[in-house]
Amino acid sequence: MIPVLIGVSIIIFLIFQAAPGDALTGMMDPKMSYETKQKLRKQLHLDEPGIIQYKYWVQNVLKGDFGESFYFKQPVGKVMNTYIWNSFYLSLASFILSVLIAIPIGVISATRQYSFMDYFFTVFALIGISMPSFFFGLLLIKWFAVDIKLFPVSGMMTAGSTAVGFAKFKDVMYHMTLPLIVLTLGSVAGLMRYTRSSMLEVIRQDYVRTARAKGLREKVVIYKHALRNALIPVVTIFGMWLPGLFSGAMITEAIFNWPGIGPIELLAVNNRDYPLLMGINMLLAFLTLLGNLIADVTYALVDPRIRLK
Amino acid sequence: MGELLSIKNLKTYFYTEDGVIKAVDDVSLSIREGETLGVVGESGCGKSITAMSILKLIPNPPGKIVDGEIIFDGKDLTKATDEEIRKIRGNKISVIFQEPMTSLNPVFTIGDQIIEAIVLHQNMNKEKAREKAIDMLKLVGIPRADEVVDAYPHELSGGMRQRAMIAMAMACNPKLLIADEPTTALDVTIQAQILDLMRDLKNKTNTSIMLITHDLGVVAEMADHVVVMYAGKVVEEANVYEIFKNPMHPYTLGLLESKPILNQDKDRLNSIPGQVPNPLNMPEGCYFHPRCSKAMDICRREQPELCSVKDGHRVACHLYREVK
Amino acid sequence: MAELKKNTNKNVELKGAKKEDIMSPWKVVKHRLRRNKLAMVGLYTLLFMIILAIFGPIVQKYVFGITMEKIDLYNISAPPSLKHPLGTDEVGRDILTRLMYGGRISLTVGIVAVSISVVIGSIIGGISGYYGGVVDGIIMRLVDIFMCFPFFPLLLMLAAVLSDYKVDPKYRIYFVMIIIGILSWTGLARIVRGQILSLREQEFMQAAEALGLRDRRKIFRHLLPNTFASIIVSATLGIGSAILSESALSYLGLGVTPPYPSWGQMVQVATDYYVMQYEYWKWIPPGVCIFLTVMAINLFGDGLRDALDPKLKR
Ligand SMILES: Nc1ncnc2c1ncn2[C@@H]1O[C@H](COP(=O)(O)OP(=O)(O)OP(=O)(O)O)[C@@H](O)[C@H]1O
Ligand code: SF4
Ligand SMILES: [Mg+2]
Repeated sequence: MIPVLIGVSIIIFLIFQAAPGDALTGMMDPKMSYETKQKLRKQLHLDEPGIIQYKYWVQNVLKGDFGESFYFKQPVGKVMNTYIWNSFYLSLASFILSVLIAIPIGVISATRQYSFMDYFFTVFALIGISMPSFFFGLLLIKWFAVDIKLFPVSGMMTAGSTAVGFAKFKDVMYHMTLPLIVLTLGSVAGLMRYTRSSMLEVIRQDYVRTARAKGLREKVVIYKHALRNALIPVVTIFGMWLPGLFSGAMITEAIFNWPGIGPIELLAVNNRDYPLLMGINMLLAFLTLLGNLIADVTYALVDPRIRLK
Repeated sequence: MGELLSIKNLKTYFYTEDGVIKAVDDVSLSIREGETLGVVGESGCGKSITAMSILKLIPNPPGKIVDGEIIFDGKDLTKATDEEIRKIRGNKISVIFQEPMTSLNPVFTIGDQIIEAIVLHQNMNKEKAREKAIDMLKLVGIPRADEVVDAYPHELSGGMRQRAMIAMAMACNPKLLIADEPTTALDVTIQAQILDLMRDLKNKTNTSIMLITHDLGVVAEMADHVVVMYAGKVVEEANVYEIFKNPMHPYTLGLLESKPILNQDKDRLNSIPGQVPNPLNMPEGCYFHPRCSKAMDICRREQPELCSVKDGHRVACHLYREVK
Repeated sequence: MAELKKNTNKNVELKGAKKEDIMSPWKVVKHRLRRNKLAMVGLYTLLFMIILAIFGPIVQKYVFGITMEKIDLYNISAPPSLKHPLGTDEVGRDILTRLMYGGRISLTVGIVAVSISVVIGSIIGGISGYYGGVVDGIIMRLVDIFMCFPFFPLLLMLAAVLSDYKVDPKYRIYFVMIIIGILSWTGLARIVRGQILSLREQEFMQAAEALGLRDRRKIFRHLLPNTFASIIVSATLGIGSAILSESALSYLGLGVTPPYPSWGQMVQVATDYYVMQYEYWKWIPPGVCIFLTVMAINLFGDGLRDALDPKLKR
């Protein structure tokens, strides 16, 4: 894990070294004098060779200091902390909803392979995978927000609202509905296909026949004996979702103006706010690795054949 | 001894992409109470599918019982509802499968899996069922049964798993035990132990056994009555002494001749020349004729019927038609 | 004890093969694909889009005299009419024609990006699987590192860095292809590696070993062709996701830039609420095009996977 993290940090660093200009370009006041610039460069170690700069950067990152965002004129850590949780709420809601929808329809598809239901859900899943999220988001806004005005066009709360407690929650949910639909459509599809193929594999197994031969009800055979096995690979991919929970759905969030990390990253890209970009990407890479670790641990928890060393 | 199970003209077909496979084609056989019936034949001849048809365990689609009757305890199982069949499965009729390594669910403990069957069929609470499960494990000769009950299948050896399967199958005192090649996947010493165990259990409980095997040695040791199958059909049927003393069908003769000398290479046993016919493309006439050294003209045209040749000895072969 | 099993099992297989060897393996796949209605719908839709993208602009130019840059001053932001079946955009260009050009670009980006990732992925996967050991260990770590990056943010960053180099819009599209290709080889590399690892142990490779073939020959002539089925499935599905990535990038203004049209970029106008509400012809058709093309590819790819999978035989 550590070597991978080092590799990731090197690549991120290299990408930004490749960008024209340096960390000062975005920050500089055009009126700044040459001397001040040089002084600042020295202060930020920008006059030193890349490898030394990398060393300073890593040292700071290890201390939790990702530098200062050019655009927000605030520490990167603080900016991330402000927005990441909004992404998290939206992603978490979508995650829960996806699991609740995808697993049952995956099971139904697999147990009735080649039936009408199976084809229906298969097509549904492929639609979910094929639909560009920005286009779907815009369509929903047009139909439900602009045309029939059922949902708000954008944002996370009604402007100027001072609601607290349950009223606030309701307001957020109301704003969340459309982006939630867009996000969930995309993730249900993949998860459902995954559950389906895993389940198809399992229901062919001998132990499922054994369970039937015992006289168990079909429901028990499927939902206890088969599903429990089919979910082993499925829950391990839950770990892989961890970075996704925080990275936010950049495009969906941007379209609905959801104040998450996605639009912030877009802003950072457009304004070449390199420290912020590096910070976000480093964090995501770390979360990915953590997610892999969690996946391994979950694997050991749900599969008795695997024990943690 | 009364008849416990009788299968009449059973046809189980698989409807596949490439055509219809007649896995079981007009099979009749019966098992009496307390009797062991040996079913032998080469791989793919439909032994397992016959057995699975009894409990309606045929994967559907593509498989389907097309025709025939399966009378058990006076009731036709082919017409039984799912609910009725479920009450019989694991209760009055139990199965031990071919593959001990994969027949137990890897995510539940051995105990859980046995207890599940007991709770289902015998109004017992969990604690009682657990005691019974431990008793059953002891009965099938598993050492440290009270520990093994909480073990997962992967923690046991193949032989132990097969014992656990037997314990599970016997837990509800079934009237009929279907043992589908219970020892094929195990090594020789374990095989002998498992067979001994089954014989013991049978003597204790008077359970009938349908024993499916390739192994004529096992048949000689265990069975009272023998059915020989070829390509989805019964070709010969008689009691065990008769089969070994006076085999009639050329296929049975071939099987007996191919009985190997001990310690010989296991892979080269089959001395019957030729190949099992393609289930999608059966030859005309007697299915065995391309491989039969005694094949006559009529064999290529007409399918022989299963006829009684002697008391309780039936053969499907044109050689014995006149004797009828 | 009589063991009849082993040898007869093989016989059954041989016999079973007899009927099929009248049909070559590819014929079997074709046959199975044909019977899959969804896959065929996908294939025909895809062919339709391809034909439209290749020949549409030619017909428009030589028959109707309309090119993608041609401005019709009398019809600015005009709704669909006989003259402009899908209307015109804010400077009076014909939307249908631009859609066809956009199709060329999106499909090319998809195909080229996937070709790049297939070449990289199979070479790296092949080497990793063939040599195993330390080489495999190092390569797989590298793959892990690549997989650690969330695909889209990285894509964005690279696209942004490229923008800073002020690449001419004419060449930008090539960079977009290359970036998408370079960022998406990892999945395929893993698949190929896994298959090669198991193929390596098989008999025909021992024969190749005995013949003293060179490593390169063994990998490229004997091992990789055997992974062809998985490569082709993952490439097909990969084209779909590459088109999605390109359109998202272009939508954000970081992919294909004007004057060259691309479907994603054409949807961008809908960020203006007036256009979104009243001028649907400007942004819905390109969105539908992306969706239809990617859906067609996914339907076909899904069918292809089923047809190539011997386990899924009904
Ligand atoms: N799910 C299935 N789909 C299609 N055909 C099947 C299926 N299951 C079994 N068959 C066919 O049924 C025939 C009989 O199979 P069966 O399993 O009864 O053989 P068997 O006598 O038990 O052989 P073995 O000794 O190998 O267990 C085989 O020829 C096989 O082709
Ligand atoms: S019927 Fe003819 S071919 Fe068939 S077993 Fe008898 S003699 Fe041989
Ligand atoms: Mg069998």
